[in-house]
Amino acid sequence: MRRPFLRLCCLIGALCLCAPAFADIGKFEIDGRIYSKHLYQNNDSQGLVGLGNPFWPDTISGNNGVGSELELNIRGKVSSFVETGARLASRFGERWHDWWESGNSLYDKANTSGDSGGMNSASYMKLRGTYIQVLPGFLGIDWLRAGSSDLAMFNPWTIGKVRYIDRDNGRGYFASGHIGDDATVRYQLGIIALPKLWAGPWWSTGIGDPALSNAFWSRDWAYATSVRVQVADGTALRLVATTTQDLEVDLSDPDAVGSKNPNCLDKLGNAIPGCQNNHAVDLLTRFASYNSTLDFESDLSDTVRLTGLVGVSAQNINRNLVANGVARNQGVSPVVYKDTRDFATTLRFAANDPFDSGWSLQAEYFNIGADWNAIFGARREADVLLTDGFVGGGGQLPTLNLANEFIDFDDQWVESCIGWHGGTGVLSFDRDDNRLKAEYSFIGYNTNQQNRDVDTIYPDFLHGDGFTDTSLYDYANVTDRGRDPRSVYHRNQDRRSQIAMISASHQFDVGRGLDVEFKAKYIRDEDFRSLTTADDDYRGDILIGRGRVAVPVYDGVKVSVFGQMDHWDEQKRRGTLQLGYGNDTTDKQTAGVTLDVLFGGMKLRYGLEYVHKVQGREREPDQLWNVWRSKATIEANW
Amino acid sequence: MSRLRLPIRKPLVFLVFVSLAVPLCAWAAGASTTLSDPADDDDGPGSYKYPTDPVYKPKSFDLRKVEITDRGDDVEFRVTLGAALEDPWDSKSWDGNGFSLPFVQIYIDTDHQKGKGFVAPLPGLGSARFADDEAWDKVVLLSPQGKSRLSAELRAKAGGMKGAAVVPKSTRASGKAIVAVVKKADLGGAPAAGWGYQAVVQSNEGFPDKGDILTRRVNEIAGAHRFGGGDDSECDPHVIDILAGSAKGDKSEAAAQHKTLAYTCGSKTAHLPMIYPAP
Repeated sequence: MRRPFLRLCCLIGALCLCAPAFADIGKFEIDGRIYSKHLYQNNDSQGLVGLGNPFWPDTISGNNGVGSELELNIRGKVSSFVETGARLASRFGERWHDWWESGNSLYDKANTSGDSGGMNSASYMKLRGTYIQVLPGFLGIDWLRAGSSDLAMFNPWTIGKVRYIDRDNGRGYFASGHIGDDATVRYQLGIIALPKLWAGPWWSTGIGDPALSNAFWSRDWAYATSVRVQVADGTALRLVATTTQDLEVDLSDPDAVGSKNPNCLDKLGNAIPGCQNNHAVDLLTRFASYNSTLDFESDLSDTVRLTGLVGVSAQNINRNLVANGVARNQGVSPVVYKDTRDFATTLRFAANDPFDSGWSLQAEYFNIGADWNAIFGARREADVLLTDGFVGGGGQLPTLNLANEFIDFDDQWVESCIGWHGGTGVLSFDRDDNRLKAEYSFIGYNTNQQNRDVDTIYPDFLHGDGFTDTSLYDYANVTDRGRDPRSVYHRNQDRRSQIAMISASHQFDVGRGLDVEFKAKYIRDEDFRSLTTADDDYRGDILIGRGRVAVPVYDGVKVSVFGQMDHWDEQKRRGTLQLGYGNDTTDKQTAGVTLDVLFGGMKLRYGLEYVHKVQGREREPDQLWNVWRSKATIEANW
Repeated sequence: MSRLRLPIRKPLVFLVFVSLAVPLCAWAAGASTTLSDPADDDDGPGSYKYPTDPVYKPKSFDLRKVEITDRGDDVEFRVTLGAALEDPWDSKSWDGNGFSLPFVQIYIDTDHQKGKGFVAPLPGLGSARFADDEAWDKVVLLSPQGKSRLSAELRAKAGGMKGAAVVPKSTRASGKAIVAVVKKADLGGAPAAGWGYQAVVQSNEGFPDKGDILTRRVNEIAGAHRFGGGDDSECDPHVIDILAGSAKGDKSEAAAQHKTLAYTCGSKTAHLPMIYPAP
């Protein structure tokens, strides 16, 4: 009888003693976010992302579905010198309609079991990014970091900021510091693990390359440095130097898995000189890239600014370790299949309202070499040129490695500006309730060449003709999508383009302010293609007009209505010299409405649009689109 | 690289258009008030550090000049900073105003009377306070965020200050300057002699702490998106640069700023001075 009583006393005593031992939550800072997306279109594809992976079949792409994700951002303060962080986020891909999917994939196709959808349908939590950051506070070292980074410390021409959805997939060792009390010199260093996907030939650092039997990617790194010198007040120079090194196993090493000389004997049975088993495996460089830029910014006055950049880009391909992705992959390759070296320069002048009249002027010269390529540069969500360009919105990037995937119909597109040589002038007026912007750009092409080898050296991305319809794009080319935005090389090209754009907006003093916007854009795109004949001369006249009216109807609630009309007249749009070319016209009308609601920390956005497109084609059947589609996002952060 | 072949006529037309348009469209300005601030004092009470993410470029929050100009039915506020405004977070995608980082709040005392107005700034500036006889009556928000987001934040978090907060008709970036236009009626009339001003420079935070109105926190140590050099609690002023002294831009005003923003957790709060320009 006594023992149970004693035990009870001990238990109560222990509980009392333990009660104050709460975790020290003051060391934590946690942010949460729940995000849901509703995607609907009048077709029969199911999924949560309009355009998914263009190569690997995935289970999340499609135009009809609703899904959610949770993310937790955790920051921990270890001491006054050390901070840690991590992001936990659920996998986005489970549709609300999937209900009890467990993550199993026990069957060949979807069924009602709950064990057929696989992990993409299970909303599992995944560790997305961790880092430890140290702030030494001495020797001018501002911080040291091991772990995740979005790589924003360099630039789009060299190593670019990683796109938002991949923002903590980039990992490495980083340092940032300064020299001098006034921080006249600031530097940043990085050693970055190369992604096994996309940062090399065959869109990989070895995996999937037919030339390799045993891809080795765990010792592939990029090395980068950025040094910024404040030359004077308002004038700074910055050098960014980067290299990527993709290493593979030397199969002549007898210690390598799959070695050609496992016994160090040649075909005749003789010993191979220098060949020796030593339990160490030699490595060779498969692919290396070198991108460096020197840029400057100078404030000539409070309103006048001059910026510029010169850069060099080079690559080395080991043909023994890289199969020809141009020849063997239908011209779809993120690299030219040869060693290259080329240059780029930009110079931008900006006078921002210098006369206090509301008028501003910007002018830019750009000249990007035909063989420039930033294999690890920015792939989207960056823009290196002033022009509105062809695709508008998303901007221009100097890489063949663009990422126009994992996007929805309302997301922006980017295009490659490799080889672009020309200038842009932008005049703008911004005063009171009125805004006006006018652009003229002329683009010549360093890629203009006759009889370029697009069979074995230069990738043409298969589809290089015609204006690109980014709003109705798909990967199977069943909708006549036009030029791939990465397609900068052609067998015969003699191209020049002009872009004129004007936009205006005015806010009417009605209610909470009625915004009316209008934008018109005209593109004249000419390519004489083969200079031996006029039968293939392309001329595209693209006219686009867009209008939008937006009105806030309440605090945090805004409704917008928009419409767009496209008329494309393209002479000799598609075809071949042998089969002839056809003249095509495209007429497209788009209309839609968007609703934005911000309420108590919750954000809702709903967009509905209708697209009617008629394509008249001379050599192929005409085509018609009647597309209704909508997208809604609801998110709350706390 | 090839030689550039320009169709020369069109650039010429363009330049002629520009040269004609500029002088034709100059806009008459009315009375103007200019307040200046010295360079290199973007460190709050003297100890604050920028966040470590590279988007926070040096001098991005270094206040240099505030110009207030009567424009007829409107008033223009032009705030010049130490670095050109950039848009690394693509403000177009969140209905913003063409820049991403700085968020400037201009506090105005229209009556210089004790007991009228607010001594606490909008939520999100930590412990900083105005003096009783320098209480503010209006605050103009020069933010990268669009009007809709600002209005929603004010409704949710500003409480009784909401009616005193002015969301500009338009806000834009112009080189190193943020330019905002507000209706004169929203200020309660034209800027008058005797009005006091204070410009508080903060950073736009799209995911602010629960009660903060779109401002970025100052912690003890700098994080990727947190200012450092302060305190992890609320006892420090969450302001990076302000007008101080007589707002002439004199070097001594940096020391004045450090002194007025000095704080001691538990005993002394930072003071935001109101500047009353000489007529």
